[in-house]
Amino acid sequence: MERLIILLPLIPLLSALTNHLWSNKLGRQVSRVSVYSSVLTFAISVLLLVLMLTHDIGGQVAIGSNWGILIADPLSVLMAVVIAGISMIVRIYSVRYMVEEIGYGRFFVLLDLMAATLFIMVTSGDLITLLIAWHLIGVLLYFLLGYDTRSPSAFRYAFWTLVTYRIGDIAMVVAAGLLYHAYGTWSLAEIFERLAAAPDAHHYFGMPLPELVGALLAIAAFARSAQFLLHTWLPYTMGGPTPVSALMHAGIVNAGGFLINRFAPVFVHTGDVLHWLFIVGLITAIIGSILMLTQNDIKKALGYSTMGQMGFMIMECGVGAFSLAIYHLIAHGLFKGTLFLNAGNVINEARKDDGVPKEDLYTFVVEKRPARQRQPWLVMAAITLIVPIIILIVAHWLVSQDIFQKQGAIVLLFFGWVTGAHLIFATYRMRSQNIWRLMGLIIFSFAIIVLGYSVISHAFDLFLYPDPAFRSQIYTAANIDIFWFDVLVVLITAVMVLGWLARYYAERNRNKAGQHLNSLWLSFYALVSREFYMNDIYAWLSRLIINFATRLNVWMRWR
Amino acid sequence: MTDFMLILAGLFLPLFPLSMVFNTVFSRVNNTKYRNLLLLLWPQIGLLLIYLSNVEIPGWIATWGLLTALLYGIRLLAIREMQLWISFLATSSWAILWITLQHSGDDSPIFLYALSFSIPLIVLLLLSDELVKRFGAAYTGLYGGLALTQPRFSGILVMAVLAVIATPLFPAFFTMLATVAHSAPFSLSIAIFVGIIWLLWSWAGARLLQGIIVGPASESNVADISTDATRKYAATLVSLIIIGLVLLGGLP
Repeated sequence: MERLIILLPLIPLLSALTNHLWSNKLGRQVSRVSVYSSVLTFAISVLLLVLMLTHDIGGQVAIGSNWGILIADPLSVLMAVVIAGISMIVRIYSVRYMVEEIGYGRFFVLLDLMAATLFIMVTSGDLITLLIAWHLIGVLLYFLLGYDTRSPSAFRYAFWTLVTYRIGDIAMVVAAGLLYHAYGTWSLAEIFERLAAAPDAHHYFGMPLPELVGALLAIAAFARSAQFLLHTWLPYTMGGPTPVSALMHAGIVNAGGFLINRFAPVFVHTGDVLHWLFIVGLITAIIGSILMLTQNDIKKALGYSTMGQMGFMIMECGVGAFSLAIYHLIAHGLFKGTLFLNAGNVINEARKDDGVPKEDLYTFVVEKRPARQRQPWLVMAAITLIVPIIILIVAHWLVSQDIFQKQGAIVLLFFGWVTGAHLIFATYRMRSQNIWRLMGLIIFSFAIIVLGYSVISHAFDLFLYPDPAFRSQIYTAANIDIFWFDVLVVLITAVMVLGWLARYYAERNRNKAGQHLNSLWLSFYALVSREFYMNDIYAWLSRLIINFATRLNVWMRWR
Repeated sequence: MTDFMLILAGLFLPLFPLSMVFNTVFSRVNNTKYRNLLLLLWPQIGLLLIYLSNVEIPGWIATWGLLTALLYGIRLLAIREMQLWISFLATSSWAILWITLQHSGDDSPIFLYALSFSIPLIVLLLLSDELVKRFGAAYTGLYGGLALTQPRFSGILVMAVLAVIATPLFPAFFTMLATVAHSAPFSLSIAIFVGIIWLLWSWAGARLLQGIIVGPASESNVADISTDATRKYAATLVSLIIIGLVLLGGLP
């Protein structure tokens, strides 16, 4: 039954070929071919998942001699369901959304090709197939984002995407070269087997192979998942059609999380790489979230929101919660896809009625007009700090009693607690007829989310990594020295609490706040509003290189 | 004798400043057939010289080749005239072959690697001639918007550019993959530089395409290439993919 996996890329490829060759005869019917093929691939992927859950099928299918291997394992099948589902929705949505656009057929051909390439990427069982799919996704995305050939700006930002992806490709090709040289095979299964048997057998340039390859793969993941310094393409690629934005934010950008999971057998033997993943993910999450809050364009805000979420996903990998990252990317893909596809409706409704300033949320968040009546602060502080931690501990204890032995779980619990506490802290002064009812609903929602997240992520852990020893190995690889871990937890807690106190002080003494603080705040706001000047720096660097190239050509007389 | 042969080979697998000879000859030859022959045979002569002299490539000459490829990769970014663009990309890609020669085994299909760069460049050269016939010159950024007015030509041009910048599944992709993969275990910096040169080609390719196919439709009444010609170009490119997969796809 694992042979069914070949159909996943084959059906969209045939659909693309049919639509391309007979586009003149088919006319607007090309969308039907594409939609039917997407429904079929979705059905096959779901069937494969069901068979894997019930009959424990699995294995690989080789098309070529030393490459062209497709594998059916829990990760590939799960990702295939996600890609099939999202690309099906996107294609159905596009049928009417794109109907008045020039190049309707070309659009569906490109969507089909992208779906096929994504399927090949998630099911590839060897390095060459993976490299081909990885590289082609960047190229196809370039043409999808630049779908409107009349728009030079759309192509300009599509080009940013292409170049960033190519940076990741370089790291990936070098990593593949090292693995091939060390193990003499392109097959992932054979590489992982030999690596597990002797993890320290190969050293290159004074570094153990897993450390070096892990670092290179991390760079490839960073470029694909818009981590800080390689993120500028993501919020600016809104010139492309909305269905492409949805597909990109719901599916393509998550490839970094997939890559880290695919190479989990390499990452378990790394030392510092996972810690770097955590740090880069954390910085990206914070900067992405800050930039999201300062945008006035809904699609750009969603772009930065994706950047923040990708930061969280990479951070989860950094603490060893690999399967949680997969759950995160699926959950994020679904809600972000929905948000993008609905963005047009929101803009349309806002044109009729912007909801300003009648809504409570607006008066609270933007105009900063809290409820006049205040609750006893001691009671509210206790609820704010204690309730989230109780919910988090109970939820995690329910799924696994030994979870508190893992540093990664503690870090995630900590983040969960800070988020929960901040949510309650930020909303308890909101205008409401019944503040206790509002608080009750918030806490209830939080409990449902935490419980759902814990149970589902635990189920993902069991499905993706059924070997308990390997699961434990991943968390161990992410561990740091217990002393430094405790120091960091105390330090970050102190920073958070001081931040809350500073905020409280500023609220209480708003009129007395010094000029100095105000100017500092304005400077920070200016920095954020210019998006930390990252785009300006990259644009300046590009111009510099082009000018340098022109000068070289003049000096060398164009020879 | 060996050094002389290597220097002579450096003329045909261009090493800067000897590379200027090829670029001068290419610009002086006006006949497309001769230009095609130049693209096809020039690197083959270089490889033949190395093969006949039976020498091991010294590290310094491979580094020289890498720097030449990098130099022409950077210079390519600022080129707007398409035939000069082809000439510079040929120089950059053939210079990379020094790295391939140094790190690939004796059984590597080095002559095919050179062809994997040359043949797509010939297709691109023929397309640039189509532009010269229609507009009097083949310049990027001069007319633009051809995707709307000449969709058949634009489609083929896109595929040809993808082939010359070593996009999968075109044969040049496997040549670049072999070069990076085989050099990475011996020198990380060389592998990364080859990767950067590959990125520069993509950058230059995107700039070339954006200046020709992107933009509002121009009002000039220029005919698209014929359906027959489109079929021939498409068949050539598809054959290139198939032959490349058969001959180069099974990487050692």
